[in-house]
Amino acid sequence: MEPEPVLESLRNAVAAMPDDVPLRLHLATLLLRAGQRDEAVRHLGAVLQRDPGNGEALAMLTASAEVTGQHPAPSADPPVSSERTVAPAPDSASSAVVPDAAAASPDPADGDPDRGAAAPPAGSPGDDTADGARRAGDDVTASYDWSQAEAELRDVLPSMFVGDAGSTSAGLDEARAYDAEHAGLTLDDVAGMTEVKKRLEAAFLAPMRNPELRKLYGKSLRGGLLLYGPPGCGKTFIARAVAGELGARFITVSFADLIDMFVGRSERNIHELFEVARRNSPCVLFLDEVDAIGQKRSQLRNTPMRSAVNQLLLELDDVASDNTGVFLLAATNHPWDVDSALRRPGRFDRTLLVLPPDGPAREGVFRYHLRERPVAGIDLAKLAKITDGYSGADIAHICETAAERALLDSVQRGEPRLIGQADLEAAAAEVRPSLGTWFDTARNVALFANEGGAYDDLVAYLRKRRLI
Amino acid sequence: MTETGDLTELRQELARAATMLDLGRYDEASNLLARVVSAEPGSSRAWCLFARAHLGADRYQAAVDAANRAAAIEPAEEWPHRLASNALMHLGNHAEALRAAAESRRLAPSYWQTHVCVAQAALAASQPALAAAAAAEARRLAPNEPDVHFLSGKVALARSDLDGARTHQERALALDPAHSGAMNELGRIRLRRHDTVGAIKHFINAARTTPGEHIYSRNIDVVILRTLSRMIYIFVLVALIMLWIPAVAHIDRFPFAVGFGVLVAGTMAGFTILVLRMPQEARRLVRRTLRTRRVVTALAVALGGVAAAFAAVAFVPSAELPQTLPIAIIVTIAARMAATARLRSTAGRNQPGPPVGRNQPSPPIGRG
Repeated sequence: MEPEPVLESLRNAVAAMPDDVPLRLHLATLLLRAGQRDEAVRHLGAVLQRDPGNGEALAMLTASAEVTGQHPAPSADPPVSSERTVAPAPDSASSAVVPDAAAASPDPADGDPDRGAAAPPAGSPGDDTADGARRAGDDVTASYDWSQAEAELRDVLPSMFVGDAGSTSAGLDEARAYDAEHAGLTLDDVAGMTEVKKRLEAAFLAPMRNPELRKLYGKSLRGGLLLYGPPGCGKTFIARAVAGELGARFITVSFADLIDMFVGRSERNIHELFEVARRNSPCVLFLDEVDAIGQKRSQLRNTPMRSAVNQLLLELDDVASDNTGVFLLAATNHPWDVDSALRRPGRFDRTLLVLPPDGPAREGVFRYHLRERPVAGIDLAKLAKITDGYSGADIAHICETAAERALLDSVQRGEPRLIGQADLEAAAAEVRPSLGTWFDTARNVALFANEGGAYDDLVAYLRKRRLI
Repeated sequence: MTETGDLTELRQELARAATMLDLGRYDEASNLLARVVSAEPGSSRAWCLFARAHLGADRYQAAVDAANRAAAIEPAEEWPHRLASNALMHLGNHAEALRAAAESRRLAPSYWQTHVCVAQAALAASQPALAAAAAAEARRLAPNEPDVHFLSGKVALARSDLDGARTHQERALALDPAHSGAMNELGRIRLRRHDTVGAIKHFINAARTTPGEHIYSRNIDVVILRTLSRMIYIFVLVALIMLWIPAVAHIDRFPFAVGFGVLVAGTMAGFTILVLRMPQEARRLVRRTLRTRRVVTALAVALGGVAAAFAAVAFVPSAELPQTLPIAIIVTIAARMAATARLRSTAGRNQPGPPVGRNQPSPPIGRG
């Protein structure tokens, strides 16, 4: 334990020379020895602000987190090393980690649109700690220096999974309708989901990749692939990966784009979309939330929407007959609402069930959503285990909730702290899986509407999970 | 931007919102409409669409508020009152709902939707005669509208006119073969006629047509549990009669025990025959239901209680029978009550309900 006068004089010296990195490091070392972790973290943060690659500061910061009982993952996720964080170019180790991280994150557009709208309060109603934190948070919010906290946290604390994520996440949020882009992803970038990949390979990719064999067996390229499954489970991301596998450009048509089509002259808009796809061949044309455009015509009262469906059918037949290198992919949460005409041979005649992420995929999703947050000691394997049955969007919500908890706690204590395993576990206990309603409907489909075995894979999954 | 440009933009935004509502995307529509009404607070149509979005998202008080805003802007427009009536019904304010529906009918008496609205509100307010009159007027104005016949059938069922209800629902189905609400109502009519198997067939048809509407499959579950409850009731009733036999006829233990065995076997055989008459999907559900812990507990309690009562009566000396018999009867009745309570805790409201979800046809809240 260092005597207080020494610390005091060092504090004064740092105040006089705030840019002196070695001095701050020395003070932080002594503060850590004296058990004054929070002040030490603050000084380490200041060091990293001035010298973001300072390995000593990073190591001390990680060590300080461990000291407080936030233990790092046993083996799968070693503590952040200065090499990993500092190195601007990906080395072999980091590049092995990062693609999975980015790959497993579901496209937000595929998730429940409500999820990100408002985060729930930290802690459950019966959680005294959380309630206390909230109450205390209310008391100190007015006096809390948010700008200082932000300044201390921003670009300072190393995130657990930092690496060169740019190459894999590029374009995820930049996809625009009518813009053909290279997806830059492959199925290897999709963490876990082995079964889905296998079925995708067999049903779609193998015939696409082997034109000679295809000719030999007389296999045509007619028809598209309809991805279906619960919301927030990565259908859009997989579609991008398929485009990457085929080396094709990727055009995504979102729900908002579809709505815009209905508002204008829908037939012309849809025709224009397919023309753009043909001009950009080889190209994957991905219709997200296709139930919006391909809804059973009997359910559509709106005349422009009916004509839009008819035009879509016409274009699909054109694509099938011309086969100009336009590969059709579509995704829906409700395949049972899709007009059966759209699912006839030559149109979207193959389906692929994309289920909630499996263990490795969940780890990947956690990794992705925590990678730019100040975290320490995260046991991803354990988190993946306790979130069985959660969608990717649910996991994103858990990360948000955990961040909120840590933030509220920081407000209460008056200084920032790292997000720990306990925050994430508490958030996981608080956030319930959002897929219940979808599975209720899926159960009805499996029990009553599985005519012709169209949903046999869904039935098998529900049986395996004892849901029917 | 010019005034014409603003108007065009507003129209486009409203068309976009209306499309979202048609697709059931209530939250996205709400977000869009919140922006529209803040930019154009004088647009009655925008407020009406906003009310419709709130209704779809089960935000009933917000729907009432939005509808009232629309009504204040265009007092001669019937649509806001219809929307308000629908939301007020969900809030349980049936008197106000009926008043709003009547106002919409006053403003547009030649519009069939306003009469359907009155019929629906009157039905909710337990005024079946008023509902029947409004439904009849709606049928006169729109004889080929399936929803009119659907609601007429519900009104007839509320008035215990089972034949009339069936005729209306069959007419609704003739006009729209995919009208799952009418299928569900036919199931409810069958149940009122104590035709369990027929009811389940209709519920299955409804669930097959609209899998997203969970009330149909829930109705099947409720019917299965009700059948089980009835089986327990009959079993206990017969057991209560049989318990008196040793006191009256002084028979031996062995024939008494055999009688108990026959009762158990007979009850099980009756239930099995009933289940075998059900469609395959329902049989699967029955198997699943029978495996749930609550149902197993309920059956064990009923069987155990009755078995204990029989054993007590069979094994006590004849001299002690007058003291033992009342206890055995109390045990049997208690077992039945406990078993039924256990089953009810599974089913919740033990009555098959009408469709309430957004996926099934309901009296219109959109603009015709």
